[in-house]
Amino acid sequence: MVLDLDMGKYAAYVWPAWGISAVVLATLAARALLAARRWSAELKRLENDNDRPQAAQGALGQEADRPQAAQSALGQEK
Amino acid sequence: MFGLANPDRFARFTRPLVPVLWAAALVLLLTGTWFAFTAPEDYQQGDAMRIMFVHVPAASVGLMIYGALGVSSFFALVFRHPLADAAARASALPGAAYTLLALVTGSIWGKPMWGTWWEWGDARLMSELILLLFYIGYMALRASIDDEAKAARAAAVLGLVGLINLPIVKFSVDWWNTLHQPASLIRADGPSVAEGMLVPLLLMMAAYLIFFLAVWITAIRTEIVRRRVLSIRARKALEA
Repeated sequence: MVLDLDMGKYAAYVWPAWGISAVVLATLAARALLAARRWSAELKRLENDNDRPQAAQGALGQEADRPQAAQSALGQEK
Repeated sequence: MFGLANPDRFARFTRPLVPVLWAAALVLLLTGTWFAFTAPEDYQQGDAMRIMFVHVPAASVGLMIYGALGVSSFFALVFRHPLADAAARASALPGAAYTLLALVTGSIWGKPMWGTWWEWGDARLMSELILLLFYIGYMALRASIDDEAKAARAAAVLGLVGLINLPIVKFSVDWWNTLHQPASLIRADGPSVAEGMLVPLLLMMAAYLIFFLAVWITAIRTEIVRRRVLSIRARKALEA
């Protein structure tokens, strides 16, 4: 079990292939995680906005249920 | 199975799963890499063989991802299920990335082994390129139609059509006489890969698969959140 990092005459092929793979996978991961964080933050911001105008919700009658239902479902998220 | 088709239930069920998947993918990638560079040199290809450990997983998982995209498209089209559409949409980018990696690393491997970066007449290379074009076409189509429901339906049709290409990619090496070697892992007489290379290869295959699942599920969850944000915004615009 010896780590062999001397790629000899194939170094110019092996390292670029591994390097590109690492860069692409890292980009995929970063993109997915950043987008997840950004959209959850946006959702939280909108929900907090919803909490404030209580009177407006009551005035809307049936509509008042919906934000709350959405909130309870979303509340378990994060 | 169908219970999970409810976006809320899916979000709740996958919440504890996501960090586990990311951690497992990272551990598998690191151990796979370690084994890839401790495996003995190939007696024919020397160190160039180590490209296999990033090429084969990207190619085979990239092909599987299209299967997931096609099946999700089918459910989105037939049952009009929003989660199926989210799943199809979320699989396109990682699928395209894996297929691109398969093409690029294959090309880099081809130069020292075949003496050429690319061979237009090779059925495996061409069908793999067409697979990449299906992924790109799918994303471009979605991006080009403003109405999300219409975009989803058009993309689902394209996604389904692309399924035709899957057996062509898989069996191109058997149906035609190609420069590309035939399958060496999944074959009737067992894998034909030397034992020292089999362990890192299987580890890297598992790593690429789990890594995709981590990206995919994270992206589906984001898509669910994004749609909620859009619907809240739309409602607010109506109320205002």
